[in-house]
Amino acid sequence: MRSGTTDLIGQVLRYTLMLARAYLRDRSALFFSLILPLMLMLIFGGLNLGAFGHVRVGIDDQAQNADSARFIERLAAVDTLTIKRGSAADEKAALTKGDRDMVIVLPREFRLAPLADGQRAPTITLYLNASSPQQSGVGQAILAQLIDQTTFAVTRTAPIVAVQVESVSTTDLRYVDFLVPGILAMTIMQLGISGVAFALVVAKQRGGLRRIMATPFTPRRFLAGHVLLRLALAVIQTLILLGVAVLLFKVRIIGSLPALLLVAVLGSVLFICLGFALAGWATTENQVAPLTQLVTLPQMFLAGVFFPTEAVPAVVRPLTNLLPLAFLADALRSISTTGATLWDVRGAIIGLLAWAGIGFVLAVRLFRFDTA
Amino acid sequence: MIAVRDLAKRYGALEAVRGISFEVEPGEIFGLLGPNGAGKTTTVEILEGLRSADSGSVTVAGVDVMQDPRAVKGRIGVQLQASAFPENFLAREIIDLFALFHGRRVDALALLAAVGLQDKASAREEKLSGGQRQRLSLAVAMVGEPQVLFLDEPTTGLDPQARRNLWALIRTVQARGTTVLLTTHYLDEAEILCDRVAVMDGGRIVALDAPRALVGSLLARGFSKPAVQQQANLDDVFLDLTGHALRDD
Repeated sequence: MRSGTTDLIGQVLRYTLMLARAYLRDRSALFFSLILPLMLMLIFGGLNLGAFGHVRVGIDDQAQNADSARFIERLAAVDTLTIKRGSAADEKAALTKGDRDMVIVLPREFRLAPLADGQRAPTITLYLNASSPQQSGVGQAILAQLIDQTTFAVTRTAPIVAVQVESVSTTDLRYVDFLVPGILAMTIMQLGISGVAFALVVAKQRGGLRRIMATPFTPRRFLAGHVLLRLALAVIQTLILLGVAVLLFKVRIIGSLPALLLVAVLGSVLFICLGFALAGWATTENQVAPLTQLVTLPQMFLAGVFFPTEAVPAVVRPLTNLLPLAFLADALRSISTTGATLWDVRGAIIGLLAWAGIGFVLAVRLFRFDTA
Repeated sequence: MIAVRDLAKRYGALEAVRGISFEVEPGEIFGLLGPNGAGKTTTVEILEGLRSADSGSVTVAGVDVMQDPRAVKGRIGVQLQASAFPENFLAREIIDLFALFHGRRVDALALLAAVGLQDKASAREEKLSGGQRQRLSLAVAMVGEPQVLFLDEPTTGLDPQARRNLWALIRTVQARGTTVLLTTHYLDEAEILCDRVAVMDGGRIVALDAPRALVGSLLARGFSKPAVQQQANLDDVFLDLTGHALRDD
């Protein structure tokens, strides 16, 4: 046997690569750990459940001048707004039918210029859809903000009061923005718990583990290989899921990617430990499936993956908020949707570390290489 | 090559091995026989460094197994009764994997060729037949160039052709100077393959000698059965009808 730390690291890395190659051949593992989360994202992201969506704005530009064109262009640049143009009458009809959230009429005298003394400002007429108050409210706020900005630009003044806009106002948080960090957290959980528990119980029950233990390869290297593989997979899957979310759903990730990855890895460590604990507890393949379901399923619904934890009954919320997945989803979501820093989510990180500690102790206590 | 002295192991109230002693000479094929629960597998697993003993001493290939179970693993090859290999590996990748476990580099294709699996190098292990899997298992056990090879019921579940093929392979291993210790339920296998056998029952060795000598001493004690002197048995008929060619390729 060779010795030395470089050899040790090389041996562990080569083992990890061999495991990775086999993993890529495993269709069902790939399906459950990668394709399924993507499908969930497509389905729920596409459904736009309880979503805020877009504000549909109809505009009748009666001025038809360079200023009005510029103003409309700036409105159109706001992502949240979907602009349709037409005559005031047509657009109002569309509003009545519920196809618009608001209609803006720019008057003939519309100009973007400082007012002379005694001159009346051109008046924009706004029709709001009373049946979509949220959307029309947001549209109105955006319009007011744009008018303010334009005013300051034209009059060459600065606002007398500065407004610090928090990176995401609740108004443009779409459901898919909310969903993606949740799916990410769920995927990391599945990869850790189910991935580890299934692989190791199968190896344990069918004797594969004993066969390896009959070689000079040490349990520590064996564990290191499996943990490394799962951590690498967690990072890769985080990148893939976020990539699809950004490209396909135009999800805005406001916080830093390294912070997201760090939290993902921490969550992965925690769930890998729990996976080993379950693999130690379960002795047959038949026990693993219900056992992992028991641990993962309730968390999926109680820990804020698909809907906010506020939907959970207030009585149990103090408990469900302590679930490992709740900490992970919360930290990922805060970073992704509000640009929180690692320091901002320290509470959740402490929760994750605490669970990782519990998981590690359980794993060490329960997982045995010796089966009999 | 193997020296066992007063080896004992109990699981709770069950005394699995009750103070057995035996030695295996270099280059020998040694059989451990006995009914289920006789203590064969426990004994073998202690010898392999997989299980600790309660008392006694075990030396395998010059290593005191009680003192240094890890060191012995580098000098032995092991084929376990239930020895599932990791899933989604190709046959040659499994050889490479176990070479890695032994900290060696080996020619996987040459090892596979030695057990007649050169055509299956790129087949997934799950797709192999029972006989092919046992041969792969044998090749894997040889990866560490062991001084002692442990085979736990190597031919269980194989058809007559595959059994004979495996016997031939085990003799090839012996011819290379490797000592072989095997357990089996099949007495014909022990008779044909083993230089000496130990018969275990209830955790003790009740007899230890060459197969022919054991039969001889039984006859000397006046044993007889209504014998119909036949020059062939059903096994011979089966092979005459179906031939010796392996069926799983």
